[in-house]
Amino acid sequence: MDKKIVLPGEKVAEGRINAPNTYSDGTATYAAVIGMMDEEGRYVPLENRYKPTVGDVVVGMVTDVRHAGYEVDLNLPDGGFIPTRDVRLTLQLGDFVICKIKSVNEVGDVDLGEVRRLPKGKIIDFPSAKVPRLIGRKSSMLNLLKDYSGGDIMVGNNGYVWMSEKCDMPLLLKIIKLIERKAHKSGLTDEVANMLKLEKGERPQTTEQGEEYV
Amino acid sequence: MSDSKGTVPLIVDGKRLDGRGIEDLRNLRIEVGIIPEADGSSYVEWGGNKILCGVYGPRECIPRHDASPYHAIVKCRYMMSPFASLEEHGRSGPSRRSTELSKVIREVFENVVIAEKFPNTQIEIFIDVLQAEGGTRTASITAATVALANAGIPMKDMVGSVAVGKAGDVLVVDLNKAEDNFGQSDMPMAISSRDKKLLLLQMDGLLTKEEIIQMVEMAERGCDKVNVIQTDALKRFYEKGEEESIKW
Repeated sequence: MDKKIVLPGEKVAEGRINAPNTYSDGTATYAAVIGMMDEEGRYVPLENRYKPTVGDVVVGMVTDVRHAGYEVDLNLPDGGFIPTRDVRLTLQLGDFVICKIKSVNEVGDVDLGEVRRLPKGKIIDFPSAKVPRLIGRKSSMLNLLKDYSGGDIMVGNNGYVWMSEKCDMPLLLKIIKLIERKAHKSGLTDEVANMLKLEKGERPQTTEQGEEYV
Repeated sequence: MSDSKGTVPLIVDGKRLDGRGIEDLRNLRIEVGIIPEADGSSYVEWGGNKILCGVYGPRECIPRHDASPYHAIVKCRYMMSPFASLEEHGRSGPSRRSTELSKVIREVFENVVIAEKFPNTQIEIFIDVLQAEGGTRTASITAATVALANAGIPMKDMVGSVAVGKAGDVLVVDLNKAEDNFGQSDMPMAISSRDKKLLLLQMDGLLTKEEIIQMVEMAERGCDKVNVIQTDALKRFYEKGEEESIKW
């Protein structure tokens, strides 16, 4: 085990550094959530609560349609809001949307812009701390998943993952579960690629065997 | 029932009733992440105590008038099951005792959780005592710390908790039910692991000033032992992904 797990209260750096999920007493910086130290000695959180920041791309579901705008579930304590005057499209209750965070105020109310409606599909909840691993370096992991599942996938910074109904859902859910569980492991993209190849290769075989019994 | 007062000697040849030395803890086992629907959870077996803890939040604060625009509210609900111990604990509704425990546990975590990041929200800690054998408040704090870490709620420190008491005129660490009920004094404490801040101190019985100073030191050593087991449990949980191969 080369990567060291760090618990809340453990020192992650000397002096005061400005990193998310840490706090400092002036002389040193300490971890605030469970995380690990990567190869370069940087602290990477393993669990966190998503904190909305301006410019983040988020996926959500419309939960309320009002005259002034739409309320969107973003997996946050309070939902986001799309003001009607900023969007041209008409949304309905239950529509999936992908948008950008336009502003966040002091108490965490989120205003959304650049809204796009997503076609029919499914949204699943993914830990937001592990979202970078689901996307991969230069979207390598995401492209891999899109190629093998045969449909489109959208990942929001808030941890909601939208999958098109064209996707091979059982396969995709299984792979996403795997990524969630092994998010802190290196060489994950290669491992997932192998798994997907194996899965695709084995599938015709099992159906043939099944037909023999019929 | 050996001496004239009809009491059992709690310490015999420096050993306690269950064979422990004066500073030994009971067996402590911690499991992490056992409630998949909760944001964070833990299960603690400490001697005869069995405690389940789930943490939810930060989420929308209900009722709304409890919310603060400056920080998240920490809520705690400690509950002892009706079947948890030999004594009658009645139905599972709130009682004088459980209200007090909920309050003291909440106050421990109000000092540890970095709540300023989540205005207008609440963080809820649910603690269920399934089986009790003395020292449920210390075991609850131990469980809740691990569950909060599992939930990814920012905390300044991990909290260890242990009771130190006086039984049979000897200061002992981690009292069991007999020592708690028939001993002279009991002082549960919760201490943060890094900066050794005393977050909980309650006392029952009579003690001298010197004894209390000595007991706080004993509690620090006891909490260090608890913290090692907490750390171990969390590391085990987060490293499991490494060994566990996917089941197809």
